[in-house]
Amino acid sequence: MRRLAARVLGPGALAFPTWAYVVFFFVVPVSLVLFYSFGHKPDEYTTVATDQLSFDRYGEVFSGAVLSTLLASLRISIVGTLLCLAISIPFTYWLATKVSPERRGLMLALVMVPFWTNFLVRTLGWQIMLSPDGFLSDWMQALGVLAAPLDILYTRSAVQIGVVYNYLPLMILPLFVAMDTAGVRLREASYDLGAGRISTFFRVTMPLAMPGVISGCVLVFVPLTGDYITASVLGGASGSMIGQIIANQFNTAQNWALGSAMAVSLMAVTLLVVAVAGLLLWAGRALFHRLTRVQLEGVPA
Amino acid sequence: MTTHEASADRALTHTDRAASPTGGALSLRGVRKQFGEHTAIRSVDLEVRAGEFLSLLGPSGCGKTTLLRMIAGFEHPTDGEIELDGEDLTALPPFRRPVNTVFQSYALFPHLTVAENVAYGLKRAKVPKADIATRVAEALEMVRMRGFAERKPTMMSGGQQQRVALARALVNRPRVLLLDEPMSALDRKLREETQLELIRLHTDLGLTFVFVTHDQEEALAMSDRIVVMSDGEIQQVGGAEEIYQRPANSFVAGFIGKQNFVDAQVGSPAADGRAVPLTTDHTPLETTAEAVAGMASGTRVRAAIRPESISVVPFAGAATAPNTSSGVVVGESFLGDVVQYLVRLDHGPEVLARVPFTTTAGVHEGDRAQLSWAPEAVQVFRDE
Repeated sequence: MRRLAARVLGPGALAFPTWAYVVFFFVVPVSLVLFYSFGHKPDEYTTVATDQLSFDRYGEVFSGAVLSTLLASLRISIVGTLLCLAISIPFTYWLATKVSPERRGLMLALVMVPFWTNFLVRTLGWQIMLSPDGFLSDWMQALGVLAAPLDILYTRSAVQIGVVYNYLPLMILPLFVAMDTAGVRLREASYDLGAGRISTFFRVTMPLAMPGVISGCVLVFVPLTGDYITASVLGGASGSMIGQIIANQFNTAQNWALGSAMAVSLMAVTLLVVAVAGLLLWAGRALFHRLTRVQLEGVPA
Repeated sequence: MTTHEASADRALTHTDRAASPTGGALSLRGVRKQFGEHTAIRSVDLEVRAGEFLSLLGPSGCGKTTLLRMIAGFEHPTDGEIELDGEDLTALPPFRRPVNTVFQSYALFPHLTVAENVAYGLKRAKVPKADIATRVAEALEMVRMRGFAERKPTMMSGGQQQRVALARALVNRPRVLLLDEPMSALDRKLREETQLELIRLHTDLGLTFVFVTHDQEEALAMSDRIVVMSDGEIQQVGGAEEIYQRPANSFVAGFIGKQNFVDAQVGSPAADGRAVPLTTDHTPLETTAEAVAGMASGTRVRAAIRPESISVVPFAGAATAPNTSSGVVVGESFLGDVVQYLVRLDHGPEVLARVPFTTTAGVHEGDRAQLSWAPEAVQVFRDE
């Protein structure tokens, strides 16, 4: 019986739940979106028509306001990813190497508590914090740091702060796991060979933590680029991100063709950025290796 | 960084160095180390001579590794001072000490090639690039690993990693090389080869080696002097033969080689004053006057007899003379060059005896056997 099933369904039979999930919930919808992106919106009451296929929607995406929003979103996500990295590296280094193992769990739990809170709720929290008549504004004025009420809500800066806050745990977790790859023994070996703490960090700890850095950056950058809740709550009209505009096309404007073209463009641009970053990383590594290489060829025995 | 640069500046070529030993003399004075409530090192005074091969030997938890880590700078003594050639190291971090360590786990950097691993210390000491290549090649040559220069350490066997770890430490020309049980992960044959190699390197380089081990055979085979430690204290310092033949106390006697211990009481010397009887619960013993020097008659002591000092012959009638006993062989094992017997004496306790294979007198498991030993073989320690 088992043999029959294996012969009919092939060795992939046991993987059915996985590939079915991928096919029905990823391949099919994404293909539909890709297909719709070549269509058009024929009239007020139809969301998409595919009787005439063209690249016209892409022309609309890569011009004017949409393009500038797409580029602004990319800037927010690249800066956001780098900020997350800059905050996470010292924190995870401290957590992985200085905090006693018994207390690490507590620290990680503290990192995760906001993450378990509803995304919308914690973003709304920042709306209260950053509002011109919020407590932060009042205190800063009382302390004389600000002359006028805090004017940051509904700007791109507010969105930038919000996304860093919202996506930070996604950077901290993989980085924490990676930060102690080197372990105390390799760090001691490095000190023993005359390297100070800073030298050891850059030559032993970080190179070995690179896989965690890469996965953390991908985990933060990709969803951040498409995020629209943070931008809706904190960005207002001037701080909108591409995700909001895509949602608008599907929900409000009922223009699925343009929305699809935007979604496909977003995916393509995101992949492009990841590919370029990967290439830069690879080139950087190759250069680093060239510089640190110890060549023994031609050295007489 | 200063001391490392200094040692690099002093650097001579390899051949020059072989002629003039550069090993440093270490001096530990009143060193104590406390971890919370636990005292790892009680109070250690130790002089390590320039260029000697010194082993720290003791059971696990005796503090030998802590002592080594304090010399390396990974732990700071709670009290006391560590000096190298008169220079106080106590406050220096590990990266400022002209000592290098071969770690038990080797601790090779997995992201670097063998050559880069070996070059690591030289680069940190800002040795010119051209010299780095030469010295790395030389060091790898020294441990016969030149052919592996471009490999990553993760793709090598334990023995190969161990050689690279040795080259990585030696290439910096440390004044003291610290070795933390570097052979514990190697199989017996490889360990014996590595022992010979370490002895050769020590002789060639003239460096001071401080070697931590729990393996007494290893310590006996390699060291100029051995420091036997227990419970965070030094029990005895001496050459291999001295420690084996004249252990300072019953701990050292029991830790180095096998021993048969028995509680005894010193009796009055015989008329000629040479042999001194010891009374025990079962077997009457006789030892030399030197062994009990300074112990009054009636002192409670522990007597020890090494298994290889006991001769085993087939039973030939009950004997009552001192230093003889009889019993049944309950265990017999062939150890290659010697045969080890476990004999249950007629009076109760079991005794271990080792007889050279060539002189075994046809005594086998289950037979009754007669044991005897010379008075010189009976060592006496004050009961603690």
